[in-house]
Amino acid sequence: MRIEKCYFCSSNVYPGHGTMFVRNDGKAFRFCRSKCHRNFKMKRNPRKVRWTKAFRKAAGKEMAIDSTFEFEKRRNVPVRYDRDLMQTTIKTMKRVQEVHARRERAFYKQRMAGNQEKERAQNIKDIQTNINLISTPTIKTTQQVQKIANTEKQMDIE
Amino acid sequence: MGRLRRSRTHKGIKDISKKYRTRRRTKDLDQIQEDLKPENRERLARREEDPDLPGLGMHYCVECSKHFINDQSLKEHKRGKLHKRRIKLLKEPAYTLEEAEQAGGLTTDNGKGRSQPNIASSLLQKKKENDMRKESMALEQNPTTMLN
Repeated sequence: MRIEKCYFCSSNVYPGHGTMFVRNDGKAFRFCRSKCHRNFKMKRNPRKVRWTKAFRKAAGKEMAIDSTFEFEKRRNVPVRYDRDLMQTTIKTMKRVQEVHARRERAFYKQRMAGNQEKERAQNIKDIQTNINLISTPTIKTTQQVQKIANTEKQMDIE
Repeated sequence: MGRLRRSRTHKGIKDISKKYRTRRRTKDLDQIQEDLKPENRERLARREEDPDLPGLGMHYCVECSKHFINDQSLKEHKRGKLHKRRIKLLKEPAYTLEEAEQAGGLTTDNGKGRSQPNIASSLLQKKKENDMRKESMALEQNPTTMLN
């Protein structure tokens, strides 16, 4: 049994899940959910749909080049069962996952570095250009006080 | 005023929902790219008359995988926007299952000495293209800072 990849979003398709479409030339397409299948039927290009892995990796939103990708492979040659090999493989899988997660985090941090300053600069610029929209709090409070005073006066008259 | 129009009114559009059924699926871009190869193109051109097809299947646009009733309408189609858009789409290599798998972090290993499918390129090539474009855009915006 194999864990396949979704044709559209490249996520995992576990046995018993998703849909498979076999085109009339015999090529099989697997989909993880109806969302992906529907998008495929609409002939959308996964490279241009922003939520797919293909887009995110090509656009540099996620780590695309890394040595941790070298481990997960579709191996078409069967390997004879070996207890030690099995154990070490499972141990390495966990380790590789850890390393991968750490690198992914570092990649994200690097991608987001400098955003805060940029945002702050943009905020300052916004305030400077639209300063007329901001009313000072003192004016606001005096207005409110006056309003309340007026209503009280009216009530007194009544 | 609130919303006057009902929501979810597109469900009953029959022609659209029928068009997107897999039963009516038209050829994909990768199939058409296969058709466009010279040897296949020749085979498609030497068709026999088929009474089930429009124009007996004699006026076929390979790029759009569409039959036309006569030569004139085929010519008119080739002048049109849809055909030109299709040609533009076909210039890029089609998206494949291998690319999807690679984006998901899965590659193929057929063992030593066996032919390895050369798939590492498509995704990374796309990435390289995007990076180049981004760099050139940044260079246009502020040429002085990038050069330093």
